[in-house]
Amino acid sequence: MSFLDSYIYYIGAFGLILVGLYIILVKHNLIKVIVGLGILDTGVNLFLISVGYITKGTAPIFSKSGIDSKHMVDPVPQALVLTAIVIGVAVLALALSLAIRLYQHYRTLNLRKIREQRW
Amino acid sequence: MVNPVILIAVPLGLAFAIPLFALFWKDIAKYTPPVALGFNLVVSLLLLPKVLENPVIVSIGGLQPPFCINLVAGPVGVLFSAIIALVGLLVSIYALDYIKEGPTEKYHMLYLLLLTGATGLVLTGDIFNLFVFFEVLCISSYALVAYLRNKAGIESAVKYLIQGAVGSSLLLIGIGLLYGLFGTLNMADIAQNIKSVSPISVFVPMVLIVTGLGVEAAIFPLNAWLPDAHSSAPSSISAILSGIAIEVGLYAVARVLFTIFGVSLSTTPSFLLFLALLGILTLLVGEMCAFSQNNIKRMLAYSSIGQIGLIVFALAIATPYGVTGGLFQLVSHTLSKALLFLAAGYMIYQAGSMEISALEGMGRKMPLTCLAFTIGAFSLVGLPPFIGFPSKFLVVRAALATKETFLFVLIGLALLGTVIEGAYFFRVVQVLYFKGEKPNPGSKDAPVAALIPMFIFVVLIVVVGIYPKLVTDVLNSAASEFLNRLDYIRSVLG
Amino acid sequence: MRRIVAILLLIILAVGISLSLAKIPFGTPKTKVGKYYINEGIEETGAVNIVTSVVVNYRGFDTLGEVTVLFIAAIGLGAVLTTSVKGETRKIQPASLVLYTGCRLLFPLILIFGSYIFIHGHLTPGGGFQGGAIIASGFLLIYLGCRERRINRIASNLAESLGGLTFVVIGLLGLVFGGYFLLNFLPKGIANTLLSAGIIPIIYIAIGFKVGSELASIIDNLIEES
Repeated sequence: MSFLDSYIYYIGAFGLILVGLYIILVKHNLIKVIVGLGILDTGVNLFLISVGYITKGTAPIFSKSGIDSKHMVDPVPQALVLTAIVIGVAVLALALSLAIRLYQHYRTLNLRKIREQRW
Repeated sequence: MVNPVILIAVPLGLAFAIPLFALFWKDIAKYTPPVALGFNLVVSLLLLPKVLENPVIVSIGGLQPPFCINLVAGPVGVLFSAIIALVGLLVSIYALDYIKEGPTEKYHMLYLLLLTGATGLVLTGDIFNLFVFFEVLCISSYALVAYLRNKAGIESAVKYLIQGAVGSSLLLIGIGLLYGLFGTLNMADIAQNIKSVSPISVFVPMVLIVTGLGVEAAIFPLNAWLPDAHSSAPSSISAILSGIAIEVGLYAVARVLFTIFGVSLSTTPSFLLFLALLGILTLLVGEMCAFSQNNIKRMLAYSSIGQIGLIVFALAIATPYGVTGGLFQLVSHTLSKALLFLAAGYMIYQAGSMEISALEGMGRKMPLTCLAFTIGAFSLVGLPPFIGFPSKFLVVRAALATKETFLFVLIGLALLGTVIEGAYFFRVVQVLYFKGEKPNPGSKDAPVAALIPMFIFVVLIVVVGIYPKLVTDVLNSAASEFLNRLDYIRSVLG
Repeated sequence: MRRIVAILLLIILAVGISLSLAKIPFGTPKTKVGKYYINEGIEETGAVNIVTSVVVNYRGFDTLGEVTVLFIAAIGLGAVLTTSVKGETRKIQPASLVLYTGCRLLFPLILIFGSYIFIHGHLTPGGGFQGGAIIASGFLLIYLGCRERRINRIASNLAESLGGLTFVVIGLLGLVFGGYFLLNFLPKGIANTLLSAGIIPIIYIAIGFKVGSELASIIDNLIEES
């Protein structure tokens, strides 16, 4: 259907975001939560790129002189996503190093059991 | 005339160069943050008189806004960067002796980068740049909370990281929606065109962005990470987190709401009342939880939550008195809370434990440190002649001047919160001074490198408390910058 | 119970976002800033890859922040995973001869490919971050295939600091020569040739080295730990 055709990228991106948020809210294993964080990041980046798309557009690179610039997609969301992907990678790397140390201290990765700090 | 970009570029360059310098001189990592932050303090104080009239707009890359990123060095931005530089400088002098074990070179690099991120966040005029500097601030604070690598530190850092990362993703979704609606990322440009779309379609990005920034600003109910993180970090980092990181997060929320979305008394009064209610709720929850604590750093962390609630309430009054009172309360909380954490750091080090009962009789063993703690506590509660008194007085007067009965009820609850706060701080002061045995001859006070910053904090608290006129002009121009968004738009876009 | 609350929250979020998305139709041009960059990009910056000119020149401050974030993550990871005591080294089973030789053969080719991507960032798709990630994957191949080799810690720390410092110094030179931070002050050259676009190739080369050595040191820290 044409509705699905035009909105498939948005639906896909938000599907990923909702799946990622569900994993973070519900699962107990720390590694699953970190994977959920990765899925959330991917969904947000996909959403940002699909905001910039123009139908029947091409990449904004003038590889041969005289290319028509009327049908190029928006370059700004691509620059934003470049930054967002690197920031997501940085957070995931730090999270995984903390998970390694947490396992060494507690011998388990179950977030329900890692609750030494109380009220 | 100095260019405000060097407030961000010079500390960043020095932080990148620390591993290079460390090849020649091992201890350089300790001394680089004080040098960089001293430079920042001097430049901010030089800029401050010039920006009180007109903000300095600097564009990066040589083009005109909105086609480039621009920095807006107005009264708010330069005031905040001066406070960040001052508190950062004093805490870095404290850390010269306090941080002795672990990878100390990395601590100092992360510390300098955290403060650079905070400075960049208050000076920028572009919303995606705000997100990038916000991430610089958050990620260095995740790493610094875990610095001690003990059980409590790693657990708090993991929980803080997960909540912070979800908040940042929500913030990014909000920014994406704003870009899709308006086609530009410049704050002044979005502010100019905000009326051209229907209110329902900007409501969702506003909620997402405020939620994302609110995780770092510790607004109820997004502050579950704060007690663990602020109590498990080393004390110098707790001072920076409670004194700078959450205040700068609150600045970001205020900038987004007041300048971009145009929330004001004339257009959205019910939303402001909701924010005021949320502020008082945060205040009461924070103070009541602090009252029941036995661990001194956890008590101070809950007190930070309470004070943030009071600042949110003052900003939500949205009159010039209210915003000036909120900013004054913010400055007073920064100075007092940083002093409290610095003093508590050495008291805990001598006592060997964080329980309040272990601090019995410290008043005789470490007289200067406990005096500093007491002054900080009295200032936070709001007793004259310390800085807490004029700031709280200004907030109460602003609430009474609006003549809204709902605000009268809320300010009554705020005064109840102050009473609870006084109760638990007096309990600690009583344990410090009026209990315990004679001091044994082996105990000594904190080292000189820690006493100097505490002394300077005490002097600032007393001097500004007696002469609040020293800072009220700057605070008044800062408040008018928040409330007059048309002036902001005009100065950026011409 | 927790699942029901989570699903309720997510449904509210989904409804809210779809209400807002209805105003952003898919596939239509929405921006004036993007159009300006496409039309004026080549004359103002000299790079034919408009995404590169946006990343390095028009929004170069964001790229500086991003480089800082990666630096913070590498340092934070090193600080969290430092061990003062050397644990017992696990007995590592050496790889077979085919794997060992194959990895050693592929490693320089991967390095050349990564360098090609970041040197030509202003002409073809790619750039500093992509090239740096490819170089780091070459190092990962060596860790997996020839298992006792480790990178030189001092060299990688040096590469990280020099890369970041070069970026900030070029920005400050722009301030000194032209009055604007990150001004493109070198000559722009002829478009579509290698030596064009002013400071953009220099910044991308610095970023490529920095990201490559940073990701390689992250991988080194994680392997040392386990």
